[in-house]
Amino acid sequence: MDYLSQVNAPTLYLMVGAILTFVTVMCVFFLVRSYKVGIAIGMDKAVLKKTIRNSAIFTILPSVGILVGVLALSGVLGAPLSWMRLSVVGALQYELNVADIAAKALGLKELALEYLTIEAYTTISLVMTVGILGGGLLCIFMLGRYLKRFSNKPKKAESAESAPDAPKKKKSNLGNIAMVAMFIGLCTAYISSYIGGFANDTSNYLPLLTAGVAAAVMAVFTLLSKKLKWLENFDVALSMLIAMASAVLAAYIF
Amino acid sequence: MNEMEKQVYFDKYNRQLHILGKVLLAVSFIAMIGFSFVAGIIFNAMPDLGGFLSGLLNVGIIYYPVAIVEFLVYAPMLGVGGSYLAFLTGNLTNLKIPCAMSARELSGVKPGTPENEVISTLSIASSAIVTTIILAAGVLLMTPLQPVLSAPVMQPAFNNVVPALFGAFGLKYYLKSPKIAVVPFIIMTLLCIFVPAVQSNTSIAIIPAGLMCIGIGAFLDKKGKLGDL
Repeated sequence: MDYLSQVNAPTLYLMVGAILTFVTVMCVFFLVRSYKVGIAIGMDKAVLKKTIRNSAIFTILPSVGILVGVLALSGVLGAPLSWMRLSVVGALQYELNVADIAAKALGLKELALEYLTIEAYTTISLVMTVGILGGGLLCIFMLGRYLKRFSNKPKKAESAESAPDAPKKKKSNLGNIAMVAMFIGLCTAYISSYIGGFANDTSNYLPLLTAGVAAAVMAVFTLLSKKLKWLENFDVALSMLIAMASAVLAAYIF
Repeated sequence: MNEMEKQVYFDKYNRQLHILGKVLLAVSFIAMIGFSFVAGIIFNAMPDLGGFLSGLLNVGIIYYPVAIVEFLVYAPMLGVGGSYLAFLTGNLTNLKIPCAMSARELSGVKPGTPENEVISTLSIASSAIVTTIILAAGVLLMTPLQPVLSAPVMQPAFNNVVPALFGAFGLKYYLKSPKIAVVPFIIMTLLCIFVPAVQSNTSIAIIPAGLMCIGIGAFLDKKGKLGDL
């Protein structure tokens, strides 16, 4: 049994299906419960229904974008794991990056089909899962205490929302800057490694070419999405797919 | 129901949600971690502890601080039920947060109120259900494509999925703040060209690149030269 057949084994589909069924049933439970509570505290039924309907509609396009991400990821990590990771906790940019870091920690040259084995797969999937549990673990251990600071002082929360609230805004801005800067650093490390790889060995051109095409397509999408807002839901995933197609084409031609 | 009764009723509901949310997250996390071990048993290839710890260390340096910031910023917006569901079902910044914010705008509720909690939970739950249905349908439809995806001619695509991500993702973030990006980009590129060891150890190179960017970001912010990101 080769690697791709193993990572697409029916048993793995069944496991993922069971996990996602459990999560979905719980979501339905939360939905029904909060709907009933909304009615009990005197909220308008029409507002509650409108919220459900609009949220569902709002979700359709981004979900198709996420599905394209599943497609991109599944060629390397198989459909079941990609499906699970992008349905529960994950996000495309996180999954691929973490999978690549884990592959390198295991001594693989990079996260690529030619180097992957089923042994590497089980370790990579574990790193991907445990690495993203931070937010969830904080919810388990801290959410109650943390939210008390807001919910027990509605006046403060309200004034924080409507008043100038300079200190609060500044705090979240710094957090935002650190996050954006960290991701810029992450991208810089990878992109410069593709440039360095090509400069040291010109036969190693595919990673740089693929990254370049992805960036160029992304630039076009960024321009277009100023007029076509819906494109924002697909920009990363579609840029990736077009760049991956260009890698196939370049490898075929050269 | 007067305001006092409403608050008492709602506090009771929130206590139930906390218990349920913790159980939901704990069971789901155990099941997700279990996936790797069950796959290991089926294929006689258990996860490698050394590789796992080393990978987790590299990942944790980047993503655990991100998780803390996301928790601190998003949890008050989402409330109790919304937080448990959103942190479980993921795709926070690209889907769940905009969805919950849009629901709040539409319904006109104020943050920190029971009404906001209800709207947020309804919004995140509906969004998560729709995403799960679309992905499940898509994965089922994708199954017949597997032979095409695994054809040898397609392999360059999947060998270059990470460069494709960072090309697209990189442009998006560089456009957000070229001022932060330019100096680290030049330094890291020169290092990768002239010190091949840096080029072949990207997971380690992330640390100096990230620290440089954070330092420059904090400096520019202090000088008031960064603006909104």
